[in-house]
Amino acid sequence: MEFLLENILNLIGFLVGLGIGIMSMIGFRNTGSPTLFRLTIAFFSISIGFFVIWAGYMAEDFVIKAGNIERWIQTLGIAIQTVGYFFIAFSHSIKSFFPKSSYFRSVGIFPLFLVSSVQIEHIFRSVSFILLAYGAIETMLSYFENRNKGAISVSIGLALLALGEFLGWYSFVFPESILYSVSMTIKIGGLIALFIPVSKVPLTKIKFDEGLE
Amino acid sequence: MKIIGDILSTTRDDLQDEDGATVTYLIRKANISHSRISRILKTLVSQGLLEQVDSQGSNKYRISPTGREFLQAYYKFTNFADNFGLSI
Repeated sequence: MEFLLENILNLIGFLVGLGIGIMSMIGFRNTGSPTLFRLTIAFFSISIGFFVIWAGYMAEDFVIKAGNIERWIQTLGIAIQTVGYFFIAFSHSIKSFFPKSSYFRSVGIFPLFLVSSVQIEHIFRSVSFILLAYGAIETMLSYFENRNKGAISVSIGLALLALGEFLGWYSFVFPESILYSVSMTIKIGGLIALFIPVSKVPLTKIKFDEGLE
Repeated sequence: MKIIGDILSTTRDDLQDEDGATVTYLIRKANISHSRISRILKTLVSQGLLEQVDSQGSNKYRISPTGREFLQAYYKFTNFADNFGLSI
């Protein structure tokens, strides 16, 4: 069950990321907008991240058959996705990502030593959670400004991805529980919510003009 | 990017006469300084998005077919970016 859900999640993630990434790229090439460039990087990263994990599961299922996916493949995929989530948050211009006070900056280094034994995958998951939560809040705030209904769907999508990421990270405390399956189901819902408003953007009659920079 | 959209939409939808819009009129619509709009207009003309027309001794600007295509794409992707709570 978990294996099937993992495959569905990664395949949907790959396709949704690719779809939104291609749309952002068409937008960037037509308008030269830096925002659309950042979204292109974000969604291509997310798509590649999901693809890496999906390919890992496929290789495990059909070639290696060791009963478990290689840990480093999962970590690599999650790390690439985190880069994508960073660019979504970055598009909302992170104003105070790092603490300004030198005291807090010095304290901030300690956790790196304290969690050195924890697998790096959990660090990426927790960073992803923060970035996704930030993106969800900023998108919801923008809805209150311009009342664009699509922003609600994107905000809910990012929030569900954040919740899924949190549960996925938390499930290492209870490895055999249903938490991981719930996390993946929530993330699938998040990806679908993310794609709904984007699928409504009409792309007819748009063509790339070579003369535009 | 928004200023470019405003200038192009003014030269498409809100012309004073058939020859095009004057710099003064565009300054009023886009609400920016003369030196800044001059640089933007120069770029838009060099990119082929605007056409410069010499009308009774003064320069006027009107949108080109490429500019119309750009403006159409601009509106569509503004809507796309709005969904993410962003502006292009």
